[in-house]
Amino acid sequence: MSERNDPKTLHRRTFLRTAGAVAGTVALGFPAVLRAQAPTVKIGVIHGVTGPLAEPGQACRLGAQMAAEAINAAGGIKSLGGAKLELLLGDTQSKPDVARTEAERLINAGAQLLQGPFSSGDAAAMVPVVQQRRVPFLIDIAAADPITANVAKAVREGQQKVQYVYRNFPTGTMFGQLAVRYFNAIFEEAGVSPKRVVLMYANDLFGQSQSRGFQAAHKAAKPGWDIVEVIPWPEPPSDLSTEVSRAKAARPDIIAPITRPASAQLLLPELAKQRVDIMGVVGPGSPGLYEAGQIAVLKEHLEYVMDSVPWPNFKNPRTRAVADEYAKRSGGKTFDTNSGYSYDGMLVIADALERAKSTDPDVVVDAIKKTRFTGHLMVSAGPVVFNEIGDNPNASTALIQILGQKPVVVWPKEAAQQKAVFPRPKR
Amino acid sequence: MRWAAVIAIAVLLALPAVLGSYAITVFIFIFFYAFLGQAWNIIGGYAGQLSVGHAAFVGLGAYTSAMLSIHAGLTPWIGMLVGGVVSAALGALIGYLGFRFGLRGFYFVLLTVAFAEIFRIIALNTDWVGGAQGLYITFTGDPRQFQFQDNRVYYYVSLGLMLLATGVVAWIERHRFGAYLVAIREDENACEALGVDTFRYKMLAIVVSAFLTGIGGTFYAFYLFSLQPNSVFGIPLSVEIVIRPIVGGSGTILGPILGSFILSPLAELSRTYFSQGGWTGMHLIVYGALLIGVVLFLPQGAYPALRRLLLRVRG
Amino acid sequence: MDAALIGQGLLSGLLFGGVYSLMAVGLTLIFGVMRVVNFAHGDMMVWGMYLAWMLATRLGVDPYAGFVLCAGGLFVVGFVVQRTLVDRIVDAPHEMQILLMLGVALVLENAALVAFGPDPQRVRSALTASTLWLGPIFVDVGRLVTFGLAVLLTGALYLFLARTPLGRSVRAAADNPYGALVIGTDVRRVYAVAFGIGAACVGAAGALVSPILPFQPAGGLSLSVASFNIVIIGGMGSLLGAFVGGLLVSVAESMGAVFLAPSMKELVSFSLLIAILLFRPAGLFGKGSA
Repeated sequence: MSERNDPKTLHRRTFLRTAGAVAGTVALGFPAVLRAQAPTVKIGVIHGVTGPLAEPGQACRLGAQMAAEAINAAGGIKSLGGAKLELLLGDTQSKPDVARTEAERLINAGAQLLQGPFSSGDAAAMVPVVQQRRVPFLIDIAAADPITANVAKAVREGQQKVQYVYRNFPTGTMFGQLAVRYFNAIFEEAGVSPKRVVLMYANDLFGQSQSRGFQAAHKAAKPGWDIVEVIPWPEPPSDLSTEVSRAKAARPDIIAPITRPASAQLLLPELAKQRVDIMGVVGPGSPGLYEAGQIAVLKEHLEYVMDSVPWPNFKNPRTRAVADEYAKRSGGKTFDTNSGYSYDGMLVIADALERAKSTDPDVVVDAIKKTRFTGHLMVSAGPVVFNEIGDNPNASTALIQILGQKPVVVWPKEAAQQKAVFPRPKR
Repeated sequence: MRWAAVIAIAVLLALPAVLGSYAITVFIFIFFYAFLGQAWNIIGGYAGQLSVGHAAFVGLGAYTSAMLSIHAGLTPWIGMLVGGVVSAALGALIGYLGFRFGLRGFYFVLLTVAFAEIFRIIALNTDWVGGAQGLYITFTGDPRQFQFQDNRVYYYVSLGLMLLATGVVAWIERHRFGAYLVAIREDENACEALGVDTFRYKMLAIVVSAFLTGIGGTFYAFYLFSLQPNSVFGIPLSVEIVIRPIVGGSGTILGPILGSFILSPLAELSRTYFSQGGWTGMHLIVYGALLIGVVLFLPQGAYPALRRLLLRVRG
Repeated sequence: MDAALIGQGLLSGLLFGGVYSLMAVGLTLIFGVMRVVNFAHGDMMVWGMYLAWMLATRLGVDPYAGFVLCAGGLFVVGFVVQRTLVDRIVDAPHEMQILLMLGVALVLENAALVAFGPDPQRVRSALTASTLWLGPIFVDVGRLVTFGLAVLLTGALYLFLARTPLGRSVRAAADNPYGALVIGTDVRRVYAVAFGIGAACVGAAGALVSPILPFQPAGGLSLSVASFNIVIIGGMGSLLGAFVGGLLVSVAESMGAVFLAPSMKELVSFSLLIAILLFRPAGLFGKGSA
């Protein structure tokens, strides 16, 4: 068991000995091929796989696991003598205190890098751990802007020496700007000029940050359409019928929802039932509008729905192969935003290790900073790079539409699989 | 007994010398939740007024000191006292409403839940305090900002908090105040008939309890570095606060500490053993079953059972 | 403010309230008889929803018929939980009962997670897709049927408690357990039956709401809290109170969504709760004081 980060660690003497020893045997949960071979690099993969955000958390975990297996199958980290990635799995339960403890537990069990989590509160709680114990940490989702920015600030002001925290997912601000741009592009392509957009969103961390980004970008861009009404609902909602009646009363041309899977299942049928007469539903960065499970439940209600989300680039044959395998292993789920970014996250880690030729944390951090990774599977504005605050400015989104009960990319042009159907046909 | 306490404290003071950072983190949460549980114990255990809304005090204390630190640059060392006072004021309000209007048992439970939920919803909808995104605190490791590069300092701070609350409870237990609280719990009507001003003592109990819990909020904010309404005002945190003293034996001085030393390692072990592989969620089934087991086999809590056992051994 | 919108809000709220009512009726029965607060109530409801979902997806049973089976299934769960767990701590302090039910809730929630995964589900039923239009106001047929069934079930439960010997002994045990014991009632059996019926109510409520409300394993807590609110507002232990309370809370939340930012609508029910606690702690239909 590696104690490299804290030479004074002598936990074997404590009465928590069992806990520590057990943590070391975490590896037993993994396929025998991985265990049998040495050397390995241990990576702690921490997501909230139980609790209210279990759905995205489990998708992230599987994405990261599949990427690690692919890397290992291709010969591991060659510059480290073909070292295999060994994943140590953690569960935050979407509780920051558990997130912090899990980070410590996995580092104690030998994790040399950390990847995760979905929830921003969990990520913020893990930041001091990796800064204290000098463990490079790649955030694969948690989108709240301040998480990386605060670390960068502390380094800039000399309170911390090195930044160990990086993120390859787009922040709320980026989401908003891209959504406004895609809205304009689609309206222009279709030769229509909708005027009245009603923004409806789940009032949780993600929904609120997305809606703020969208409204700020709209204000800055001054397009030809207005956000005439903003309707947030408590998440999870018990009922959205009155919210939809209120949206209808605002006479919208476009409904722009930011949902969670459960609230999408309430919202879309309700829009149909109340016969809200619109050109289309276009999400400015919304989960719940494209997953295989959602399509199975919502069926025709999702047809023609559009959404600007981080999306795998299916023009890349490797992406298609991964997506097929993901569907098999997850019981038929779509390889999408969360699983995709966690998959890419592991690839980025492997790339950094390859170039670092070492697992020394500061050497790895240097390699992460110099990342120019082009092997990513997600639609992106360029190679994965990290800017001065540790975010990936090329992380991007694609506008997807459900056509024939399948999500397809309709914008940007270079990733588009089909032309958008907009306005949606009258039923 | 006194010697046992001195030895225990000496051991806890010396432990960080031999503990790894993970074990230290586990201990930090054992102390922190024992501290919150001990604060709850004053009103929920001794006075028998079950509050399942103590997250409101944690959240208010945490938001107060975090806002003061972020916007006014006030050090959390002072901010934590301000947070404690604000929480105490909320405690006084809840107590006044609850006790003046004679809410007992489950009615008081729901009053406290409702207050915590109202704070959660307001915080979620107030941009000024960060809304659902919440507040993020920059990790600098600067001790003046209640931040420490070395995890062991947090260990001593949380140990200090636990001993502080335990000291307060010990003081209460030895004075008339404590006797009145227990009398209120056992039979409030009889207590009133004897001329005890039960309202006054219950108020005092909830204010002290809320003050200490509010101080805990600052530790939460500056150990976990962000605050979201759902995590600091939510029901799950209130539940975390109450289960430890209940498991250990509510209304006893060692109950919250014992409960915390039982439950936190159990949670860690069940997560370590059962959270791998495909059975996601298994570790919480195990943990839930352990809680049920505690209720069935130790229906008065662990401490009273332990004391009976010790007495039997001795006598 | 648009009059049609207000009218629509009132109607939607009222119809949705039927579900709230049924779920609260189950809780109030359990509390009324045993003085045990069922913190696992919402999680039992979630299991009712999953049972309805399995019946619909595996056997093609529409939830509007399948709710009977779900009620039956949850009756067994409630009966067993009472017999094996609750029965052993009826005399324990309040906080121990709360802890026990929290443990049960944790087991139920995560058992659902292991069994069904984390994705939200919703049962499709032909009824829920259809609507009636009264001028500018629409009536959701699925909700109308749910509402009607909730009224019928509550009525049936009331008749059971008032007219049958078993029902009368349940009421007697609720009023005075020692008295019931003295006149030779098997109080333990009565308790288990009452807990079973309470669970059956929430199971039926879960099944009936499964085509309207998406569900996932973690959804139990907010349902429990909603049930607690309604029961207190209506009057702890009062069937009529739980029923009317359910409608009232649902309409109030719907009006909150009309007049406030909808994300604040839960504030309405919690404020209502505090007002009731302070000014009429026995609830709208409760007897005596708290």
